[in-house]
Amino acid sequence: MTCERIEELLSAYLEGELADAEKAEVAAHLAACPECAGLVELMKETSGAIVGFPEVEPSPDLMAGLYAIPAVRRERRRWFQPVFDYLTRPALQPVYAAFTVLFIALSFVFFHPEGRGIRKQIDVRLHRGIGTVEKLYAGAGTLKGEIGSLTTTVVKSFNNLDLLKSGEGKQ
Amino acid sequence: MDLDAVIRECLEGSQSAWETLVSTFAKRIFNMAYQFSGSRQEAEDKTQEVFLKLHGALPRYDSGKNFTAWLLTLTKNHLIDEYRRTKWEKTQRDDFDERVLAQTAHDGPEQSLVEKETKALVWEGLNRLSADMRMVIILRDLQGKSYEEVAEIFDLPLGTVKSRVNRARIQLAQVLKEYRGGTL
Repeated sequence: MTCERIEELLSAYLEGELADAEKAEVAAHLAACPECAGLVELMKETSGAIVGFPEVEPSPDLMAGLYAIPAVRRERRRWFQPVFDYLTRPALQPVYAAFTVLFIALSFVFFHPEGRGIRKQIDVRLHRGIGTVEKLYAGAGTLKGEIGSLTTTVVKSFNNLDLLKSGEGKQ
Repeated sequence: MDLDAVIRECLEGSQSAWETLVSTFAKRIFNMAYQFSGSRQEAEDKTQEVFLKLHGALPRYDSGKNFTAWLLTLTKNHLIDEYRRTKWEKTQRDDFDERVLAQTAHDGPEQSLVEKETKALVWEGLNRLSADMRMVIILRDLQGKSYEEVAEIFDLPLGTVKSRVNRARIQLAQVLKEYRGGTL
Protein backbone atom coordinates (compact mmCIF):
# COMPACT_ATOMS: atom_id res chain seq x y z
CA MET A 1 0.00 0.00 0.00
CA THR A 2 1.13 3.56 -0.74
CA CYS A 3 1.26 6.30 1.90
CA GLU A 4 -1.72 8.04 0.21
CA ARG A 5 -3.81 4.89 0.49
CA ILE A 6 -2.75 4.43 4.11
CA GLU A 7 -3.77 8.04 4.89
CA GLU A 8 -7.26 7.32 3.61
CA LEU A 9 -7.58 4.46 6.09
CA LEU A 10 -6.09 6.09 9.19
CA SER A 11 -9.32 7.16 10.92
CA ALA A 12 -10.91 3.78 10.31
CA TYR A 13 -7.71 2.14 11.60
CA LEU A 14 -7.68 4.27 14.77
CA GLU A 15 -11.40 3.63 15.35
CA GLY A 16 -10.94 -0.12 14.86
CA GLU A 17 -13.28 -0.26 11.89
CA LEU A 18 -10.97 -2.02 9.46
CA ALA A 19 -11.24 -5.67 8.53
CA ASP A 20 -8.42 -7.84 9.90
CA ALA A 21 -6.55 -8.08 6.60
CA GLU A 22 -6.57 -4.31 6.01
CA LYS A 23 -5.69 -3.66 9.62
CA ALA A 24 -2.64 -5.91 9.31
CA GLU A 25 -1.59 -4.16 6.10
CA VAL A 26 -1.83 -0.74 7.71
CA ALA A 27 0.08 -1.94 10.78
CA ALA A 28 2.83 -3.36 8.58
CA HIS A 29 3.06 -0.10 6.65
CA LEU A 30 3.23 1.95 9.85
CA ALA A 31 6.01 -0.24 11.19
CA ALA A 32 8.03 0.43 8.05
CA CYS A 33 7.15 4.11 7.37
CA PRO A 34 8.17 6.64 10.06
CA GLU A 35 6.35 9.45 8.23
CA CYS A 36 2.96 7.69 8.42
CA ALA A 37 3.67 6.43 11.94
CA GLY A 38 4.38 10.02 13.03
CA LEU A 39 1.15 11.19 11.45
CA VAL A 40 -0.80 8.53 13.35
CA GLU A 41 0.76 9.65 16.62
CA LEU A 42 -0.20 13.26 15.88
CA MET A 43 -3.75 12.21 15.01
CA LYS A 44 -4.00 10.36 18.32
CA GLU A 45 -2.74 13.48 20.11
CA THR A 46 -5.16 15.84 18.39
CA SER A 47 -8.09 13.49 18.94
CA GLY A 48 -7.16 13.17 22.61
CA ALA A 49 -6.89 16.96 22.94
CA ILE A 50 -10.23 17.56 21.22
CA VAL A 51 -12.08 15.02 23.29
CA GLY A 52 -10.68 16.77 26.36
CA PHE A 53 -12.37 20.09 25.50
CA PRO A 54 -15.13 20.36 28.10
CA GLU A 55 -18.45 21.98 27.33
CA VAL A 56 -18.91 25.63 28.28
CA GLU A 57 -22.05 26.92 29.99
CA PRO A 58 -23.97 29.69 28.22
CA SER A 59 -24.22 32.86 30.32
CA PRO A 60 -27.46 33.74 32.18
CA ASP A 61 -27.75 36.86 29.99
CA LEU A 62 -27.69 34.74 26.86
CA MET A 63 -30.31 32.37 28.28
CA ALA A 64 -32.53 35.33 29.20
CA GLY A 65 -32.15 36.66 25.64
CA LEU A 66 -33.08 33.29 24.17
CA TYR A 67 -36.15 32.94 26.40
CA ALA A 68 -37.28 36.42 25.31
CA ILE A 69 -37.19 35.63 21.57
CA PRO A 70 -40.98 35.04 21.17
CA ALA A 71 -41.72 38.38 22.86
CA VAL A 72 -39.11 40.16 20.71
CA ARG A 73 -40.59 38.71 17.53
CA ARG A 74 -44.13 39.57 18.63
CA GLU A 75 -43.02 43.15 19.24
CA ARG A 76 -41.32 43.31 15.85
CA ARG A 77 -44.45 41.95 14.16
CA ARG A 78 -46.52 44.60 15.96
CA TRP A 79 -44.60 47.28 14.03
CA PHE A 80 -44.26 45.57 10.69
CA GLN A 81 -47.68 43.95 10.49
CA PRO A 82 -49.65 47.19 9.76
CA VAL A 83 -47.25 48.12 6.93
CA PHE A 84 -47.46 44.60 5.55
CA ASP A 85 -51.27 44.61 5.80
CA TYR A 86 -51.45 48.01 4.08
CA LEU A 87 -49.25 46.90 1.20
CA THR A 88 -51.07 43.62 0.70
CA ARG A 89 -54.67 44.95 0.81
CA PRO A 90 -56.77 43.99 -2.24
CA ALA A 91 -57.42 47.63 -3.20
CA LEU A 92 -53.77 47.94 -4.27
CA GLN A 93 -53.93 44.98 -6.64
CA PRO A 94 -54.82 47.07 -9.75
CA VAL A 95 -51.90 49.38 -8.94
CA TYR A 96 -49.49 46.43 -8.76
CA ALA A 97 -51.01 45.07 -12.00
CA ALA A 98 -50.50 48.43 -13.72
CA PHE A 99 -46.90 48.57 -12.52
CA THR A 100 -46.35 45.03 -13.76
CA VAL A 101 -47.62 45.95 -17.23
CA LEU A 102 -45.50 49.09 -17.19
CA PHE A 103 -42.39 47.11 -16.23
CA ILE A 104 -43.07 44.55 -18.96
CA ALA A 105 -43.44 47.36 -21.52
CA LEU A 106 -40.25 49.02 -20.27
CA SER A 107 -38.39 45.71 -20.35
CA PHE A 108 -39.38 45.37 -24.02
CA VAL A 109 -38.10 48.86 -24.72
CA PHE A 110 -34.81 48.36 -22.92
CA PHE A 111 -34.02 44.69 -23.40
CA HIS A 112 -35.78 43.59 -26.61
CA PRO A 113 -33.35 42.87 -29.52
CA GLU A 114 -35.18 45.51 -31.52
CA GLY A 115 -35.39 47.84 -28.55
CA ARG A 116 -32.98 50.25 -30.24
CA GLY A 117 -35.47 50.75 -33.10
CA ILE A 118 -38.29 51.23 -30.61
CA ARG A 119 -36.29 53.83 -28.69
CA LYS A 120 -35.43 55.60 -31.98
CA GLN A 121 -39.11 55.71 -32.93
CA ILE A 122 -39.94 57.15 -29.52
CA ASP A 123 -37.18 59.76 -29.98
CA VAL A 124 -38.41 60.71 -33.44
CA ARG A 125 -42.02 61.05 -32.29
CA LEU A 126 -41.02 62.97 -29.21
CA HIS A 127 -38.94 65.40 -31.25
CA ARG A 128 -41.70 65.71 -33.81
CA GLY A 129 -44.15 66.49 -31.03
CA ILE A 130 -41.81 69.07 -29.54
CA GLY A 131 -41.34 70.61 -33.01
CA THR A 132 -45.09 70.87 -33.48
CA VAL A 133 -45.53 72.52 -30.09
CA GLU A 134 -42.73 74.97 -30.90
CA LYS A 135 -44.38 75.84 -34.22
CA LEU A 136 -47.69 76.40 -32.46
CA TYR A 137 -45.99 78.69 -29.97
CA ALA A 138 -44.26 80.57 -32.77
CA GLY A 139 -47.57 80.89 -34.63
CA ALA A 140 -49.24 82.10 -31.48
CA GLY A 141 -46.47 84.70 -31.05
CA THR A 142 -46.97 86.04 -34.57
CA LEU A 143 -50.73 86.17 -34.07
CA LYS A 144 -50.25 88.07 -30.82
CA GLY A 145 -48.04 90.58 -32.64
CA GLU A 146 -50.59 91.02 -35.38
CA ILE A 147 -53.41 91.50 -32.88
CA GLY A 148 -51.24 94.05 -31.05
CA SER A 149 -50.53 96.07 -34.19
CA LEU A 150 -54.17 95.85 -35.25
CA THR A 151 -55.27 97.13 -31.83
CA THR A 152 -52.83 100.04 -32.10
CA THR A 153 -54.14 100.90 -35.56
CA VAL A 154 -57.76 100.78 -34.36
CA VAL A 155 -57.00 103.02 -31.37
CA LYS A 156 -55.15 105.49 -33.58
CA SER A 157 -58.02 105.50 -36.06
CA PHE A 158 -60.51 106.24 -33.26
CA ASN A 159 -58.33 109.06 -31.98
CA ASN A 160 -58.13 110.60 -35.43
CA LEU A 161 -61.86 110.44 -36.05
CA ASP A 162 -63.17 113.96 -36.86
CA LEU A 163 -66.57 113.03 -35.46
CA LEU A 164 -65.20 112.83 -31.87
CA LYS A 165 -63.09 115.99 -32.26
CA SER A 166 -66.07 118.00 -33.47
CA GLY A 167 -68.19 116.72 -30.58
CA GLU A 168 -65.59 117.95 -28.15
CA GLY A 169 -65.55 121.37 -29.86
CA LYS A 170 -69.29 121.78 -29.46
CA GLN A 171 -69.18 121.32 -25.73
CA MET B 1 -39.69 14.70 27.41
CA ASP B 2 -41.97 14.47 24.38
CA LEU B 3 -40.21 16.79 21.96
CA ASP B 4 -43.05 16.72 19.42
CA ALA B 5 -45.51 17.87 22.09
CA VAL B 6 -43.15 20.66 23.16
CA ILE B 7 -42.82 21.82 19.55
CA ARG B 8 -46.60 21.72 19.08
CA GLU B 9 -47.04 23.85 22.19
CA CYS B 10 -44.36 26.25 20.94
CA LEU B 11 -46.31 26.66 17.73
CA GLU B 12 -49.41 27.44 19.77
CA GLY B 13 -47.45 30.24 21.44
CA SER B 14 -46.61 28.65 24.78
CA GLN B 15 -43.75 30.51 26.49
CA SER B 16 -42.98 27.65 28.87
CA ALA B 17 -42.67 25.21 25.94
CA TRP B 18 -40.26 27.59 24.23
CA GLU B 19 -38.20 27.82 27.42
CA THR B 20 -38.09 24.03 27.61
CA LEU B 21 -36.84 23.88 24.03
CA VAL B 22 -34.21 26.55 24.72
CA SER B 23 -33.06 24.84 27.93
CA THR B 24 -32.71 21.54 26.10
CA PHE B 25 -30.64 22.78 23.17
CA ALA B 26 -29.01 26.11 24.15
CA LYS B 27 -25.86 24.58 25.65
CA ARG B 28 -25.30 22.31 22.66
CA ILE B 29 -25.79 25.10 20.12
CA PHE B 30 -23.70 27.56 22.13
CA ASN B 31 -20.83 25.08 22.38
CA MET B 32 -21.03 24.28 18.70
CA ALA B 33 -20.87 28.00 17.88
CA TYR B 34 -18.04 28.53 20.38
CA GLN B 35 -15.97 25.65 19.04
CA PHE B 36 -16.57 26.80 15.49
CA SER B 37 -15.90 30.51 15.94
CA GLY B 38 -13.42 30.35 18.80
CA SER B 39 -14.92 33.44 20.38
CA ARG B 40 -17.33 33.61 23.29
CA GLN B 41 -18.89 36.88 22.13
CA GLU B 42 -19.29 35.60 18.60
CA ALA B 43 -20.79 32.35 19.92
CA GLU B 44 -23.35 34.26 21.97
CA ASP B 45 -24.37 36.33 18.94
CA LYS B 46 -24.59 33.28 16.70
CA THR B 47 -26.59 31.30 19.28
CA GLN B 48 -29.06 34.17 19.51
CA GLU B 49 -29.35 34.28 15.71
CA VAL B 50 -29.81 30.52 15.44
CA PHE B 51 -32.64 30.51 17.97
CA LEU B 52 -34.26 33.49 16.24
CA LYS B 53 -34.11 31.51 13.01
CA LEU B 54 -35.43 28.44 14.78
CA HIS B 55 -38.41 30.36 16.12
CA GLY B 56 -39.20 31.60 12.61
CA ALA B 57 -38.62 28.21 10.98
CA LEU B 58 -40.49 26.10 13.53
CA PRO B 59 -43.80 26.17 11.58
CA ARG B 60 -41.94 24.61 8.63
CA TYR B 61 -40.52 21.74 10.71
CA ASP B 62 -41.76 18.37 9.48
CA SER B 63 -42.68 16.47 12.65
CA GLY B 64 -41.76 13.15 11.02
CA LYS B 65 -38.09 14.14 10.92
CA ASN B 66 -35.39 14.01 13.58
CA PHE B 67 -35.65 17.41 15.31
CA THR B 68 -32.10 17.40 16.70
CA ALA B 69 -30.60 16.69 13.26
CA TRP B 70 -32.86 19.37 11.74
CA LEU B 71 -31.76 21.95 14.33
CA LEU B 72 -28.09 21.04 13.96
CA THR B 73 -28.39 21.36 10.18
CA LEU B 74 -29.92 24.81 10.61
CA THR B 75 -27.09 25.72 13.02
CA LYS B 76 -24.39 24.32 10.76
CA ASN B 77 -25.74 26.21 7.74
CA HIS B 78 -26.00 29.45 9.66
CA LEU B 79 -22.50 29.20 11.14
CA ILE B 80 -20.84 28.30 7.84
CA ASP B 81 -22.76 30.93 5.85
CA GLU B 82 -21.96 33.65 8.36
CA TYR B 83 -18.32 32.58 8.51
CA ARG B 84 -18.00 32.72 4.72
CA ARG B 85 -19.70 36.11 4.64
CA THR B 86 -17.40 37.69 7.22
CA LYS B 87 -14.32 35.46 7.34
CA TRP B 88 -11.95 38.33 6.72
CA GLU B 89 -12.78 39.49 10.24
CA LYS B 90 -12.13 36.13 11.83
CA THR B 91 -8.43 35.44 11.59
CA GLN B 92 -7.94 35.04 15.33
CA ARG B 93 -9.59 32.83 17.90
CA ASP B 94 -9.88 33.78 21.57
CA ASP B 95 -7.04 32.49 23.69
CA PHE B 96 -7.75 28.98 24.84
CA ASP B 97 -10.25 29.61 27.59
CA GLU B 98 -8.66 29.88 31.02
CA ARG B 99 -11.78 28.45 32.60
CA VAL B 100 -11.53 25.45 30.29
CA LEU B 101 -7.89 24.99 31.26
CA ALA B 102 -8.85 25.25 34.90
CA GLN B 103 -11.55 22.63 34.44
CA THR B 104 -9.17 20.24 32.69
CA ALA B 105 -6.63 20.69 35.49
CA HIS B 106 -9.09 18.88 37.75
CA ASP B 107 -8.68 15.80 35.58
CA GLY B 108 -5.65 14.92 37.65
CA PRO B 109 -2.19 16.13 38.52
CA GLU B 110 -0.68 13.76 36.00
CA GLN B 111 -1.90 15.91 33.15
CA SER B 112 1.29 17.38 31.87
CA LEU B 113 2.00 20.85 30.61
CA VAL B 114 2.58 19.34 27.18
CA GLU B 115 -0.99 18.04 27.09
CA LYS B 116 -2.30 21.45 28.04
CA GLU B 117 -0.14 23.03 25.39
CA THR B 118 -1.38 20.51 22.84
CA LYS B 119 -4.98 21.39 23.71
CA ALA B 120 -4.22 25.09 23.21
CA LEU B 121 -2.50 24.42 19.88
CA VAL B 122 -5.32 22.22 18.62
CA TRP B 123 -7.83 24.85 19.70
CA GLU B 124 -5.89 27.48 17.77
CA GLY B 125 -5.36 25.07 14.86
CA LEU B 126 -9.10 24.60 14.31
CA ASN B 127 -9.08 28.04 12.72
CA ARG B 128 -6.69 26.82 10.04
CA LEU B 129 -9.25 24.33 8.72
CA SER B 130 -11.83 25.27 6.13
CA ALA B 131 -15.36 25.86 7.43
CA ASP B 132 -16.61 22.46 6.25
CA MET B 133 -13.63 20.57 7.64
CA ARG B 134 -13.87 22.36 10.97
CA MET B 135 -17.57 21.61 11.20
CA VAL B 136 -17.19 17.86 10.58
CA ILE B 137 -14.49 17.67 13.26
CA ILE B 138 -16.69 19.58 15.69
CA LEU B 139 -19.71 17.39 15.05
CA ARG B 140 -17.86 14.10 15.07
CA ASP B 141 -15.11 14.59 17.67
CA LEU B 142 -16.35 17.40 19.91
CA GLN B 143 -20.10 16.88 19.82
CA GLY B 144 -19.66 13.11 19.61
CA LYS B 145 -22.10 12.57 16.74
CA SER B 146 -22.03 9.29 14.83
CA TYR B 147 -20.96 9.28 11.19
CA GLU B 148 -24.60 8.60 10.26
CA GLU B 149 -25.78 11.67 12.16
CA VAL B 150 -23.07 13.85 10.59
CA ALA B 151 -24.08 12.52 7.16
CA GLU B 152 -27.71 13.45 7.90
CA ILE B 153 -26.75 16.94 9.08
CA PHE B 154 -24.58 17.56 6.01
CA ASP B 155 -26.98 15.72 3.70
CA LEU B 156 -24.04 13.79 2.26
CA PRO B 157 -23.39 10.08 1.65
CA LEU B 158 -21.83 8.21 4.58
CA GLY B 159 -18.64 7.42 2.66
CA THR B 160 -18.10 11.08 1.79
CA VAL B 161 -18.50 12.09 5.43
CA LYS B 162 -16.08 9.42 6.65
CA SER B 163 -13.53 10.54 4.10
CA ARG B 164 -14.05 14.20 5.05
CA VAL B 165 -13.62 13.49 8.77
CA ASN B 166 -10.42 11.57 8.02
CA ARG B 167 -9.02 14.42 5.91
CA ALA B 168 -9.96 16.97 8.56
CA ARG B 169 -8.15 14.96 11.26
CA ILE B 170 -5.06 14.65 9.06
CA GLN B 171 -5.10 18.39 8.35
CA LEU B 172 -5.40 19.17 12.04
CA ALA B 173 -2.52 16.82 12.84
CA GLN B 174 -0.43 18.56 10.18
CA VAL B 175 -1.28 21.96 11.67
CA LEU B 176 -0.10 20.70 15.06
CA LYS B 177 3.10 19.46 13.47
CA GLU B 178 3.59 22.85 11.85
CA TYR B 179 3.03 24.70 15.14
CA ARG B 180 5.69 22.53 16.74
CA GLY B 181 8.14 23.45 14.02
CA GLY B 182 7.82 20.31 11.98
CA THR B 183 9.05 17.92 14.65
CA LEU B 184 7.04 14.76 15.27
